[in-house]
Amino acid sequence: MNKEFKVLARPYMVWLSVLVFVPILAMILISISNLNSSVSVGELMISFSHFKLLLESSTLIAFRNSLVFATLTTLLSFVLGYFIAYEIKLSKFKNKFILLTIVILPMWSNLILRTESLANIMSENNILKSILGFNLFGNISGTGVAVLFGLVFTYMPFMILSVYTALEKIDFALEEAALDLGLSPIKKFWKVVFPLSLKGVVTGSIMVFLPTLAGFAIPKILSRGRIVFIGTIIENKFVYTNYNHGALLAVVILFFILGSILLLTKFDKEGETLL
Amino acid sequence: MEKERATLKDYGYRDFTLMNKIYKILKKFFVVFIIFGLYISIIVIAIQSVNESRIISEFTRLSFKWYGNIFQEEELMQAIKNTFLVSGIATVLATILGTFFAIGLYALGKKVRVIWMLLNNVPILNADIVTGFSLMLMFRLLMVVFPNIFGLFTLVMAHLFFTIPYVVLSVMPKLKETDPNLMDAALDLGVRPYKALIKVVIPAIKAGIFSGMLLALTMSIDDFVISYFNTGAGFDNLSIWIYAVIGRRNLTPSVYAFSTLLTLFTLLGLLIYSFLQKQKKGRKNEKNNINGRAS
Repeated sequence: MNKEFKVLARPYMVWLSVLVFVPILAMILISISNLNSSVSVGELMISFSHFKLLLESSTLIAFRNSLVFATLTTLLSFVLGYFIAYEIKLSKFKNKFILLTIVILPMWSNLILRTESLANIMSENNILKSILGFNLFGNISGTGVAVLFGLVFTYMPFMILSVYTALEKIDFALEEAALDLGLSPIKKFWKVVFPLSLKGVVTGSIMVFLPTLAGFAIPKILSRGRIVFIGTIIENKFVYTNYNHGALLAVVILFFILGSILLLTKFDKEGETLL
Repeated sequence: MEKERATLKDYGYRDFTLMNKIYKILKKFFVVFIIFGLYISIIVIAIQSVNESRIISEFTRLSFKWYGNIFQEEELMQAIKNTFLVSGIATVLATILGTFFAIGLYALGKKVRVIWMLLNNVPILNADIVTGFSLMLMFRLLMVVFPNIFGLFTLVMAHLFFTIPYVVLSVMPKLKETDPNLMDAALDLGVRPYKALIKVVIPAIKAGIFSGMLLALTMSIDDFVISYFNTGAGFDNLSIWIYAVIGRRNLTPSVYAFSTLLTLFTLLGLLIYSFLQKQKKGRKNEKNNINGRAS
């Protein structure tokens, strides 16, 4: 490509540098200072008094909830999502595009609305009960199971897509060779197919883990406010304009994300195969 | 003495029929369960949209009145308009800018590009809540200079921030696939570089631009968290509005009607798209056959 076009990247470099770094620096500054809407820049003081928040039991419980649910969601969507991705790859159906569309079609309708209607049918009296005559979900409204169900089926499509992309790239000749050399189908899967699809699994896991860890809308709606995630606390701090505390918690989440990005770059050297 | 005959097992044959049977049954169960999980909420939305009663826990009678009511619900209409306004502006700008940015980054050469692509991935990988919250803090600091900054402007800026990377990411592989000689040929034939860019390179990466645009639109139209933190002055998009109304517990069933319509239109669009693809393929095969016969 013509070197002259380098100029075209310049505005984007400025844009990215400003919008990636300035907000994060502002967030870090606000989390370790007394800066808020009533303090002017002249009276700015560095203080670590907000850090007490991190040791409060409600914060610790929220962190535990976020981590536990994010881990469980990732595991479940890995198991179910890998299975579906593998079945799509194996299927004799010619048009794989349609099969993938079936998986991602639900993602095109509004997430909040989908979650709300899920919460509706999980409660004791619901519209499905009035049609079917029995309660499809039992009465799990407000429980962890309800939250987990919502999270898994919201984020699983990401897992399916990235695992499928990885599986598609595997040369079928390799699988044939493995069978010819006497591996059983199960062994072939574990020794050949699975290791080759690991990159897709890592990408998919991160795409499920991070939004679950930092989410607040789905747990709030499905648990009817009973299960508090770290995102729920940040949202509360935002609503009550306590930006210092909100910023501090967001910084903590940022550290989790940095860790995940480092993990991803280990598997994905060029950083260009995210899609 | 008669020698014992080697069995199939001795040749390394193993019987997997029972296992395969179990796997097949399990497979069916899992597929049904997953499809159920993915679609149950959409089905419920569709049922609620044709329910005559306003009460969501009871199905009274089949009625399409909520579909006609969509235009009468002022708040809902406003939220829909806002959503399309923000996503429309953001998608168009992100597609155009993202394409040129990708070309610029590609021209940088591999070493420098990798660093910038990593930075490009930050808005995609970063949790929405961190992106939303930190952008909000930055805009708050800007409020000292521009007091009325929150609203359409901040929303579009925030949406551009997370949609451009998707366009860059889907255009980049197409750029790598294009033949570098294409550009040189155009230049040799006396076309100015920027004209060659528009006339030669852009058509070659068309597919990447299109899929980038679709991704940007999808991400933008369904965004809740980032918009939630960066809106202001009552400028609600659909997600924010629904979230607020759920809290007050009086969601109009017209929302369900609108959502169902949107799903049906998406489905229709996809069906038409895959039909057109099929026809295109068919035509290509025909051409190949003719060429094959001729040679």
